[in-house]
Amino acid sequence: MSFWDKMQNMDRRWVYLMVAVAVIIPFFATPDLPISITPEAQMLYDAVEAVPDSSTVFVVFDYYPSTIAECEPMAISALRHFYRKDCKVITLSNIPLGGPSMAERVTREIALEYDKVYGEDFVNLGYKANYVAVMSGMGTSIESIFPADNSGTPLSELPMMDSVVNYDQVAFIFEIADNATADYWVSIVNAQYGIPIGCGTTAVSAPKYYAFVGAGQFVGLLGGMKGAAEYELLIGHSGSAVLGMGAQSLVHLLIIFLVIVGNLGFFLGRRGKSGEIS
Amino acid sequence: MSGIEIFEIWIMAFVTLALFSFLYKDNPLYKIAEHVFAGLSAGYYFGLIWDTVIVTQLWQPMIGGKWELIIPGILGLLMFARFWPKYSWVSRVSLAFYMGTASGIFLTSQLHGLVLKQMQATMLPLVNGDGFGAAALAIIVVIGVISTLAYFYFSKEHTGALGVTAKVGIWFIMISFGAHFGYTVMGRVSLLIGRVQFLASDWIGSFSQIF
Repeated sequence: MSFWDKMQNMDRRWVYLMVAVAVIIPFFATPDLPISITPEAQMLYDAVEAVPDSSTVFVVFDYYPSTIAECEPMAISALRHFYRKDCKVITLSNIPLGGPSMAERVTREIALEYDKVYGEDFVNLGYKANYVAVMSGMGTSIESIFPADNSGTPLSELPMMDSVVNYDQVAFIFEIADNATADYWVSIVNAQYGIPIGCGTTAVSAPKYYAFVGAGQFVGLLGGMKGAAEYELLIGHSGSAVLGMGAQSLVHLLIIFLVIVGNLGFFLGRRGKSGEIS
Repeated sequence: MSGIEIFEIWIMAFVTLALFSFLYKDNPLYKIAEHVFAGLSAGYYFGLIWDTVIVTQLWQPMIGGKWELIIPGILGLLMFARFWPKYSWVSRVSLAFYMGTASGIFLTSQLHGLVLKQMQATMLPLVNGDGFGAAALAIIVVIGVISTLAYFYFSKEHTGALGVTAKVGIWFIMISFGAHFGYTVMGRVSLLIGRVQFLASDWIGSFSQIF
């Protein structure tokens, strides 16, 4: 069996091991690789900057715990950006499994950094089933859809919600999603109410949503951990996404190397076999 | 770090490592983690829906005087008729109501929000002051849309001009698949990095609290 044949038949667990090593190495020796800012991330940052200070905004936690690595750094950066601008932040989730509790944990953690008070500076509405009805209904009255917040406190007892009736009082929506709920924020809320929406999404979903940026339906886009790292750099507060980009780049280099070796093995192995036949 | 937090971290680490163990080969630890996840998800989802929908949006408002909510409540109950084949037709009333309202909501929102806006974004002026680069990109978008649509036109054999256009469409589709695949690889690697970050910082960090 030639070298190339051995490469073709390599146990896939060796590939897993190589990937694991490539992910772990950067935690001990951080590679100094540059992170460029894409126009879509810059557009989103600029759009949030353009939101008037002290406005009311939505930060939507439409992601499952399985994609925390990509989506949570976006949520943290978005909250830091809005809190820095003294915006009133309303969080909610259309994801039943984990969404409301992740929103609760993250908003409270970041609020501590900026001395924000629950009920006055931020409110977590939690989860309500049937996101189409939720998005449509909040156009008329947020309180009709969410009579109480995530902890069961009536909205009428939260001072921040006194002046927020429906979308008319919302200046911006920062949607962080790992699924198709982002489509409905566009088709229901942006299309019908004209509220600017910025989107942070997983890398898997990102290619689809570039078309939404092109059409002006999203004011900007963050794609995967790379997008999250860009936003962390833009707000000047590096976090887990920037830290993870070293490993990301190293694994990408490894995958490119394996694709090249795999293709070389395929073609050279085939040439060897055709030579043996002739 | 409190005792309960350390306990949580160790459970998370155990489940993460148990699931990763599948990469070597299938084993009982992986199966335990998988079944616990499926059971927990089902239980959590049931509890959440019961509390956020049945209790807070149906029962409490109803006993508070909104008796009209009994209508959606009955429509929901009719869905359970599917368990009895003889009476399963009754559930069609609820389904018909749901399909009617969903169609009405989706038709306008999808058409207005997605189809028309996306079509509008394809019809770009070539001379818009953004220079040659923007004009070239606009032409590529138009060629891409038309040729891809031509590939999915099956009422005529793909020969002649239609065949050439469809072949160009295949190239655009393949490039799109490549971009999607690249992003998918990046996404999956990110998830792995997230777990390794957790194990390296939170889990190993908890060692100093215990030992």
